[in-house]
Amino acid sequence: MRLFNQMGLAVSFIIITILALVIGLNYQSTKQDMLQGVYETGVNNIATLAHTLAATDGDEVMISSTIDAAFDSGYYKRIEFTSSQSDFTYKQENKECVATVPQWFVEFADIENRVISEDVISGWQTLGRVSVVGDSDIIYQSLYKTFINLLYLFAGATIVSLIVLAILLSYILKPLKAITKQAEAIIRDEFVYQEKMPYTTEFKGLVRGMNLMVKKVEYIFIKGSETLKRNQELMYVDEITGLYNRRYLLLKLPDLITLENRANGGSFMFLGINGAEILNQALGRATADKVFGSIGSMLQKVVEQFEDALAVRANGTEFILVIPDTLASKSFELAKEIHKKFEQLLGKHSLSIEDVQLDIGLYFYRPNIAMSDLLTKADSALTHAKADELNSIYVYEEADDESAMGKEQWREIIEDSIAKKQMSLKFWSMLDVRTGTLNHKVMSFTIDSSAHKQYFYGDFIAPAINLGLVSKVYKLALERLFTGKHEVLKNKLCSIRFSNEFIKDPLSYEILASLLKAHVKNLDFKIAFELSDGFVVRNPMLVKRFVALFKESGCVFGINSFTSESDDFAYLKVYNPSFIKADVSFLLDQTTDSMSALLVISDSLGIEIIATSVATHEQLEGLKALGVYNVQGPITETLR
Amino acid sequence: MHLKILASTLLVLLLRNTLSAELIDATLESRAEAKYGAFAKNRFVAIDETLLKKLSDESELKKLNAVNTWVNYIKYASDKKVYGVSDYWATLYEFVGKNKGDCEDYTIAKYYILKSLGVDPKKMKFAYVIYKNRSGKNISHMVLAYLKVPQPKTKDDVLILDNNNRRVLPASKRPDLIKMIKMINGDTGPKSKKWKELEENMQRKKL
Repeated sequence: MRLFNQMGLAVSFIIITILALVIGLNYQSTKQDMLQGVYETGVNNIATLAHTLAATDGDEVMISSTIDAAFDSGYYKRIEFTSSQSDFTYKQENKECVATVPQWFVEFADIENRVISEDVISGWQTLGRVSVVGDSDIIYQSLYKTFINLLYLFAGATIVSLIVLAILLSYILKPLKAITKQAEAIIRDEFVYQEKMPYTTEFKGLVRGMNLMVKKVEYIFIKGSETLKRNQELMYVDEITGLYNRRYLLLKLPDLITLENRANGGSFMFLGINGAEILNQALGRATADKVFGSIGSMLQKVVEQFEDALAVRANGTEFILVIPDTLASKSFELAKEIHKKFEQLLGKHSLSIEDVQLDIGLYFYRPNIAMSDLLTKADSALTHAKADELNSIYVYEEADDESAMGKEQWREIIEDSIAKKQMSLKFWSMLDVRTGTLNHKVMSFTIDSSAHKQYFYGDFIAPAINLGLVSKVYKLALERLFTGKHEVLKNKLCSIRFSNEFIKDPLSYEILASLLKAHVKNLDFKIAFELSDGFVVRNPMLVKRFVALFKESGCVFGINSFTSESDDFAYLKVYNPSFIKADVSFLLDQTTDSMSALLVISDSLGIEIIATSVATHEQLEGLKALGVYNVQGPITETLR
Repeated sequence: MHLKILASTLLVLLLRNTLSAELIDATLESRAEAKYGAFAKNRFVAIDETLLKKLSDESELKKLNAVNTWVNYIKYASDKKVYGVSDYWATLYEFVGKNKGDCEDYTIAKYYILKSLGVDPKKMKFAYVIYKNRSGKNISHMVLAYLKVPQPKTKDDVLILDNNNRRVLPASKRPDLIKMIKMINGDTGPKSKKWKELEENMQRKKL
């Protein structure tokens, strides 16, 4: 019940009590006054009437006529004459109800006028006795009028009091509204302080308390974010060069080379320094470390020229550069430039390339290459480079994959499938191991060609991106999802992973907006859209626009391939995803400290952490130990 | 043009007010017909046509006689019989509608018709008298007294309109009215409770 209603009831009750008291007191005194007035008038009248009746000498007809005349010309309830022998009685009486007053009031008021009697004496003889009862209508009317007037007065007073109360309460309770806003802001991961202290003492304390609480929550969030950042640095960054380490490379590489994110494949550059021990001997450990630091800076500058490129110190003397979406010729030029800069760097320390050599193995990988294959081939390229005494750069040559389909063939298959709407949806489960519930499904889809061949997402998405058909493919998949009947999804959350290229496609926003507007309200399941962590960090404007669209449409937003790539986690606050999906290997790689920091952030923001690609029970146990209970991957099939 | 409309609207309003203030109107006639039948309606039409309209320019004496005669055609019945109470002042409408009433009802009817014909109400009094009937019995009775002069000195100055006598005679020529008990004003003097009720009932044309 609202405070206003409660106080309104109290005020109304008080006013009604006062009304009852006032009416009671007023009623009694008015009633007595009026009865007295009627009595006094009666006393005046009876003297005249007795005198007139005395003049009749006891003639019965004259007595009745006199009483009639008196009764008709005055205000009487009753006039009655009884002769002294009681052998003649004449009475005029008004038995009618009071017309202007409701019957219930007449019964309630119950007015009984006093009977006034006087002897009628003619000469020495008493003719009889006349009695008069005054008219009580006027008393009823007057009391009723007083009652109604008081009722109106108090009804008016109640209404005015309630209006004043409403205005006062809305002013006094303003701080409470502000506190509600603060609390709602915390849910949205915003930390709002009330600068203006309320006037009411009780609320001052409340607002101070609330401000302190907001401060504490913000502190917990910042603290968690900092701890995680520090742990990430310790775990993934090489202290000497400032570059990422091998551990990070292994974690990040699948995402960099995944087909759906990379249309063209790219360059993998393996750099090996031969004679690093000479550096130590000649320059001393500290200076040698500085040289490595310079190499790190130089490589970092090189990769900064490319989107999504990565420079890594794989071990003491080996570095790796992964540059997606680059042409072979470009990366060869780059390798030469790096080699040249390395020489210059040695020169600065009075060393020559004969003392310390840099060998570069270069491998151009195709999209969808297996990670082990990539590393083996790159390693082979470096081995060749080291072995080749004339050339320090070796490019790994790969025989053409004859099984790979040509661009035009793919166009035909994809366009044909889109035109004929040949597409099947598949739903994988996300399992909450604590409750054993499968309330979250992940959608994938296949293209079913006319030749009865099914192409998986991994097969067709890269050609679709290359051919500029990615929006159309997603449009068809979403239409299938929105218009089809999916019993497995009923009352569940269905998550769809968006390719980065789809989000970048200028057509996508409109397609998605119109689809969501038309269908989401009719669905019997909820929709979640996922974007990859790296993409979210690097494309804030674009992502913000899409996330706003998801949320406006009543959909949920999630982040996948989470690798805590960003330096700070403010973006989690900004986008407030419902869940973060991270590869099981990434999560298991975390120290207890960094995991607890991640959990602090996710808990404070209400984000669910989901481990992906979970395959073994061993991994599952590891995740449970870390406090991660939501899993996706082959293990869900086993557990079921 | 606007003035014309305004003038005609005012005229309609004026006419309507005049009509509703009339003693007998068409609404009343149809109400009377619905409640008491066609004869009742005819009686009201007759009051309107033969008394109110025809007598308007006649002398007061002629008015008194005509009204007295017309009203006296209505049958006598006691209040007990008609209304079930010992004493009730019926409106002109109830009296003419029911076509019966007691001496007070005759007096009231005559008073209002004459007042409507332009007779000064101050000249008319409700007189409580003792009437000796043909068998010599004294009866408490009411008649309408018409004062020829504002302050009558003799019985000749007062004309009596009585339901027991079809002629309007001076009080001096009415030895059967053996005693005058009291004369009260109509609706012009101080209003008693009875008068107040009657006036209210007359205003709403209680049938």
